[in-house]
Amino acid sequence: MGLLALGLLGLSPTLTLSLLAFGLAVLTALKLREARRIEERRVVALLQLVCAGLLAALRPELGPSLLQGLAILLALAGLLALELGAGPDWKVLLRRSLQVLLAALPIALVLFLLLPRMMPFGTLGWGQGMGAVTGLSDSMEPGAIARLAVSRQPAARVAFPAGGGPPPMDQRYWRVLVHDLFDGRSWRSTTPRDVLRPPGPSTTPYPPAGPEEGLQLWLTEASGLAAVPWSGQGRPLSPELRQRRNGELLSRAAGSQRRVYSLTDSPTTDDWRRQPPGLIDLALPWGENPRLQSLAAGWQRLGSGRARLEAAERWFRDQPFRYTLEPGPLPRRAPLDHFLFETRLGFCGHYASAFTTLMRAAGVPARVVSGYRGGQWVQPLGGTGYVDLRQADAHAWSEVWLEGEGWHRVDPTAWAAGDPLANGAAAASRQAGSGPWNWLQRQWWGLDVAWARWWLGYDSERQDAVISRLLGPHRQWLGVVVLLAVGVSLAAGLGGLGWLGRRRRGDPLRVELERTLRVLARQGVEPQPGETLPAFARRLEQLRPPLADPLSAFVALYQSHRFAPVPGRNGRREAQRLGRALRRSLRGGIRRGEAIQRDSS
Amino acid sequence: MDFGRPQEGERVRLRMRNLYILPTRFGWLWLAGTVLLQVVGIQMQSNGPLLLSFLMLSLFLLALHLTHFNLQGVELWCGSPTPGFADGPLPYPIHLRCPGRSEGVRLRLGREAAGPALALAAGEHELILCWTPPGRGLHRPGVLQVQTTAPLGLFCCWSRWRPAASQLVYPARRAGPVRLLASATGPLAGESVVISPREGSEDWRDLAPHRPQDSPSRLAWKLLAQGRGEYSKHFRDLPEAAPLLAPDPALPLEEALEHLSERIWRFHGQGEGYGLEIPGQSLPAARGVGHRDQCLAALACCR
Repeated sequence: MGLLALGLLGLSPTLTLSLLAFGLAVLTALKLREARRIEERRVVALLQLVCAGLLAALRPELGPSLLQGLAILLALAGLLALELGAGPDWKVLLRRSLQVLLAALPIALVLFLLLPRMMPFGTLGWGQGMGAVTGLSDSMEPGAIARLAVSRQPAARVAFPAGGGPPPMDQRYWRVLVHDLFDGRSWRSTTPRDVLRPPGPSTTPYPPAGPEEGLQLWLTEASGLAAVPWSGQGRPLSPELRQRRNGELLSRAAGSQRRVYSLTDSPTTDDWRRQPPGLIDLALPWGENPRLQSLAAGWQRLGSGRARLEAAERWFRDQPFRYTLEPGPLPRRAPLDHFLFETRLGFCGHYASAFTTLMRAAGVPARVVSGYRGGQWVQPLGGTGYVDLRQADAHAWSEVWLEGEGWHRVDPTAWAAGDPLANGAAAASRQAGSGPWNWLQRQWWGLDVAWARWWLGYDSERQDAVISRLLGPHRQWLGVVVLLAVGVSLAAGLGGLGWLGRRRRGDPLRVELERTLRVLARQGVEPQPGETLPAFARRLEQLRPPLADPLSAFVALYQSHRFAPVPGRNGRREAQRLGRALRRSLRGGIRRGEAIQRDSS
Repeated sequence: MDFGRPQEGERVRLRMRNLYILPTRFGWLWLAGTVLLQVVGIQMQSNGPLLLSFLMLSLFLLALHLTHFNLQGVELWCGSPTPGFADGPLPYPIHLRCPGRSEGVRLRLGREAAGPALALAAGEHELILCWTPPGRGLHRPGVLQVQTTAPLGLFCCWSRWRPAASQLVYPARRAGPVRLLASATGPLAGESVVISPREGSEDWRDLAPHRPQDSPSRLAWKLLAQGRGEYSKHFRDLPEAAPLLAPDPALPLEEALEHLSERIWRFHGQGEGYGLEIPGQSLPAARGVGHRDQCLAALACCR
């Protein structure tokens, strides 16, 4: 129960499934308290298992998974203790529980790996919640923030397992949300109805990555958002992903939990960039920021969007803008005018908001994009390298529509003095922190990425690939193969348990003695009722004088260790050695006897 | 699980044909939990609940065989049951031979509650089970149910066998009036045919040199006064006449037999001799365990 309680700690209490897990854990604890009969205690063990299963859905990371595994092992040990009715020798019970688990695991793995998966029955929204954890939000109002706190909480990790590497630092823009609705102060996202590339019927999988395409494996922390980060290039591979026309990548998986998904790492497939803008990308509340509109009106005379963009860049670079996390609040009336012409202090949200508004006012379709910028490349001691993104890497930039080019990324923050990314590696190093704790954390995350790659990344897509590789064109035999594999695994598990059962029969000294007695019985020599071992040995010595030495040594050792307070490991080994020697002598005797019989006949 | 055709005979070997196995109520609950986790796994497209549900299903399949293996090949045969009284549970010996280790084995005889779970190592075992007889006479103890739910409690595997060896049940011992017929004055029959006179205080028998531990009251004062030395007087009691016990005709036969049973048990405990006279059988007065058992057996079989 303690392990389950530990697993519950990180859950958000606003989620349906979390509430179910909480309720089940409380129910288990109450049942454990009042359970007296064996049937009631069995139910407690089952409740623990189900609770561990719910936690496995909510916390699939490496650490919690280890805790859940341990809880399952203990629940099984409890069940065994109930059935065996013996005193609770936990060491024995845990060993037995592990043996039973290992015997059952091959069947479970066969079913897990090969049994075709069903798609979700519908959107029950078990994991949808109200809470948001990351630094990103679907609305952005930089003017209302006087001071932006820097959070070092992990946000996401992206690995390139197919061998590719991360893009250069100045190209690391990981987009999440597109804010295209502006009310003069805040930017919001439109409702995601316009899916660019829906996977046909929801059950149709994406085509797998081609041999020339790289792979991006993403692992994001809980965010509460449907949109997930990506580089804007490549094509989704995981079936729960959908891509919007504005370049947002949406996940059907609950935002309240960690999400793992994969994309191809190909720079050419970015269809969303060529989706033409709508009226919404030019919409502005006119008269809200008159000085801004007046400045932008001057650029409208320039012929192309490119020229207007360059004019805006020149203007920004000429002004004494400075990046700061403590810009102070902007007034409610004409906030962008105040920022552009008075304070000129702000963080990424201020620059992206002001620049995008300027572009719209100049007649260039534009929008704000929020996501992450930069991230540190980590190469753990073993496993795949990854880019580590923290909440401190959260960033906002702009996208403008240029005729003939499509949507073009512009980061006006980079034009301001003091932009943290301008210092490049030094800034990244400061950001990531150092010291043994950070080093250990990154190594653990490396393991976590490997875990995500092999365990969480095993989705229906990967399963399909495995089945295709295994069966090739004979896919119609999958049912037979699964049945056969289950049968073989079951037989292997039972055989293994039987072998272990024979091994643990009695103590090793007794086993040695019984083996020797069986060999003797086959030769017609058996102890008489009431005959002690030394007396039997003396009688045997008279019958078989050549056995005298090994026999007396074995009996002396057996006697001394049998009646010693605690038979030592060395004594057992010695008894095993002597027992083997004695049996060899006996069998040699049989063979010699048979040879003599043959000769005489 | 309390159904299935019981096996008959002195000895039974448990195998596929006479072993039954079904999921327990907990087993069905386990399956329901498996389905629940499967649904959660599918709905959330999460590998953890999916693998756990498959693991639980595998354990279910594995437990089916492991539970069956606990009893498969076990051989049972009757011991020699000793007679007992109808006033309490009777011990009934059962022998088992296990081909391997059998865990969580519970045995139940007749309508008694099942005993504790036993872990039996490979080899022969003698177990004493208790059962409550319905009354006096020669009875078979009813159906022996041997069952196990080990190792996980998901399945119950059981078999039923009616042991052939009968057990003699004496009437319950209940104190009450019995009829005492004419005393037997002759030497008592039985294992001590001649009952020696016992040391006592009734009849003077002999003189012997006085020992310090002898009571001064036994000192032969007259001889001492005559100067013939210190002698002690030794006395003896003549044996009492052993009663011949018979059922009280004023009582129902069963009740009268129970009174006789108690009286015989008491007389035997006190070392006294007795005879028995019941309808169809008469046993002369005697003493000893053999005589007691003979009398009690006569009571058990009295019609």
